[in-house]
Amino acid sequence: MSSQATSTGGAAPEAAPVALAVTGISKSFAGVHAIRNLSFGARKGEATALIGPNGAGKTTVFNLVSGVYGVDAGAVTVNGVDVTHMPSRRRIGCGIARSFQNVRLMDHLSVLENLLVGQHIRAASLTDLLTPYRLFPNHRWRQEARQALADNGLERYANETVSGLPYGVRKRVDLVRATLAGASILLLDEPAAGLNPSETNDLRDHLNLLVAQGLTLVIVEHDMHFIDSICSNVVVLNFGEKIAEGPLSVVRQDPEVRRAYIGDEEN
Amino acid sequence: MLTQQIINGLMLGAIYMLVAVAFTLAIGVLNFLNFSLPGLFMVGGMATYGFIRIGWPWFFAIGGALFLAALISLLVERLAYRRGEGAEADVPLVSSLGFLVLLENLMLVQYGSDQQAFPALLPDMNLRVGGLVIGIAQIISLAISIILVAWLSWFLKRTNAGRRIRTVAENRETAQLLGVNIRRLVPQLFVASALLAAVGGVLFAVNYQQVSPWMGEGPGFKGVAAMIIGGMGSIWGSVIGGLLIGLAEVLSITFIGADVVNITVYGLLLLILIVRPQGLLGKPPAREKL
Amino acid sequence: MSGYLTGVLVVLAFNVIAAYAVYLPMAAGQLNLGIAGFMAIGAYGAAFLTNEYGWSMLAAVPVASAAAGLVGLVIGFPVLRTHGIYLALATFALGQVIAAIFLNLEVVGGAAGYTLSAYAGPYVVFAAAIGVVLVMLYLSRTRFALYLTAVKSDPTVADLMGISVRGVQVAAFALGAMVAGFGGAFYALHYNFVEAQHFNVLLSVFTVLYVLFGGAQTVWGPLAGAMFFTLAPEALRFGEQWRYAIFALFIILFMAIRPQGLITTSLFQGFRRRSNEASP
Repeated sequence: MSSQATSTGGAAPEAAPVALAVTGISKSFAGVHAIRNLSFGARKGEATALIGPNGAGKTTVFNLVSGVYGVDAGAVTVNGVDVTHMPSRRRIGCGIARSFQNVRLMDHLSVLENLLVGQHIRAASLTDLLTPYRLFPNHRWRQEARQALADNGLERYANETVSGLPYGVRKRVDLVRATLAGASILLLDEPAAGLNPSETNDLRDHLNLLVAQGLTLVIVEHDMHFIDSICSNVVVLNFGEKIAEGPLSVVRQDPEVRRAYIGDEEN
Repeated sequence: MLTQQIINGLMLGAIYMLVAVAFTLAIGVLNFLNFSLPGLFMVGGMATYGFIRIGWPWFFAIGGALFLAALISLLVERLAYRRGEGAEADVPLVSSLGFLVLLENLMLVQYGSDQQAFPALLPDMNLRVGGLVIGIAQIISLAISIILVAWLSWFLKRTNAGRRIRTVAENRETAQLLGVNIRRLVPQLFVASALLAAVGGVLFAVNYQQVSPWMGEGPGFKGVAAMIIGGMGSIWGSVIGGLLIGLAEVLSITFIGADVVNITVYGLLLLILIVRPQGLLGKPPAREKL
Repeated sequence: MSGYLTGVLVVLAFNVIAAYAVYLPMAAGQLNLGIAGFMAIGAYGAAFLTNEYGWSMLAAVPVASAAAGLVGLVIGFPVLRTHGIYLALATFALGQVIAAIFLNLEVVGGAAGYTLSAYAGPYVVFAAAIGVVLVMLYLSRTRFALYLTAVKSDPTVADLMGISVRGVQVAAFALGAMVAGFGGAFYALHYNFVEAQHFNVLLSVFTVLYVLFGGAQTVWGPLAGAMFFTLAPEALRFGEQWRYAIFALFIILFMAIRPQGLITTSLFQGFRRRSNEASP
């Protein structure tokens, strides 16, 4: 299947292929169901939002897809490859990378070094492992990482140790690191949390650019404005189950979704 | 005769048991592998010897040694445990090793590296039961060890203070939320485990009638092995582990030879750590979640 | 160079090699309290090969080092399934077992020790130590060093980035064992006598102590630690007896004040920032 947008009105474009498919997955922890029979797909060149009240299991879904936990049942397919039983370490090689809700950067490394770690999957040969890149200030890896920082206005933090940096900067570095894996699918866990309005705008533009370049994004977020400006599809989770799926405008009318959010004032 | 060796093994095991319990208290409650404890074991024996040598009556000599061990343990708490929470996670452990080295070398400077003869404090009487010979010293050691450990176990289970300690062992943050005064509890725990180790050293000196600056290493490290085999954090595990190690040591000396003891004891420790780190009665090590 | 100075520098050379043997696994977050056991494998290996089979040093040293590395590799896999306190204890037990095995091995002298006929002069030892330092410096400029820190900092995330956490840990452990064996081999060849009692837990403890003192965050730390441990007692001229006591006391106090060690990454931060401004 190819995605072809037609310029004439009326004829609907063919749906883009599904890059990430989650089919009937379930997971329990110590007898408690975290995720129950969940299925959804994220299409190539689109951003899909994963929303739901706190504790609905959104980060758990990311953990299951990236392989931090194995599913109890169901299947996970990434770019056509069944990764359900694949060890977490190998999944990034299938084209799927992620950022973290609580910004998991390596505190004692510099920003640049954190990004270099993110490049690993593209620099994984023995030669790569033993190349003394630090002897060459303009080594391509360092250039690429610096460029990625510059694209995000973060170049001045390149040699700063992560632990001293403000939250917003670390959050954005976490995202940049995810983009350096050469992945076609990005799982972004609350990428806008803690960002000021200017940073949020920059993030929005960046993500829209990634989508335009053909990446697949799955975004966990609470900010509905933000989701509205990026995501064409929304999956709503509650207590580990999907209660609705579709464009935001449709989903927010769904009575069950409204019920799930009572107490959460979202506009 | 085999039964005689078994008795000897159990007696030795009683001493190892004290050291193991000392370690397990520190690990179970404070998650701290306190390698100064073998040094405190040695201080128990050597300081008693030293005080006797300068003329103190044996009762005061032992008391003095125990007091000294307690003081040193508070230093360990202050300098190794409390401050060591810096960059490297292993610093407290290694710093406690530093204390072991320090104590050994201080004793070395004072008394030389040779073994010293420890005076016989107990009459050389033996109990003869059906062909078995059990020394008075052995019986008293066994009795003291068991009483101490049983008392500790009762204390932890039945008293309020004991409950507080068990809460801290379970979950430190929760304990703090519940109002447990950890800052006061920690030094008390250090002193408790130091006293257990030091009493072990005293009993060792009384039983085997020799002391040296290095006397803590053998029983100290075997106490660690006993703790692991019995299960980290479990008092009764340490009891079983201590007795097992004592038996293993005596039996392997009898049947194989003294030189192989280290191989059997530490080989067993290595095996347990790889195959079943929680030992007999301990909890499996925690795994990390995202 | 006077005989006395040469003697001190030889000791320094051995301490430097030992320091890096401990540093490699420590950089990946593992404490190897049994490093002396691997030194013993290198020492006895080189001694045995040169004595019994008449091998040259050029052949014996690499083989003995590789043997130590191999043991580290084979034992590393199961042992590294443990972590934290369990790992420290497992490596400690391993060191004890190895030393005890050599103590009982009559073919290499048992408790009486083993004399060597081959000899490695001081300049050979210096070259060996310099070689180790150069290799470590090289490694510190590679991704391997980066991944050591990554695996130590956050093994879960390192794994998700595609790095084989277990692979890095075992590699660091085995390499450290090999370096220890390398040092042990030259030790035997220089002093022409090995005894198992030398490779005891205190040897491992002292090495770990001065590496932590020097600082395990950068590749220069172990060098600083080894230099301090070797040269400070000489400079201060303490009596043999007090030397270790004072050293232990100093380390304890230093660790209480500055647990991250002498040389840390933040020391280099200043240099980095300045050079960053110089060349964009």
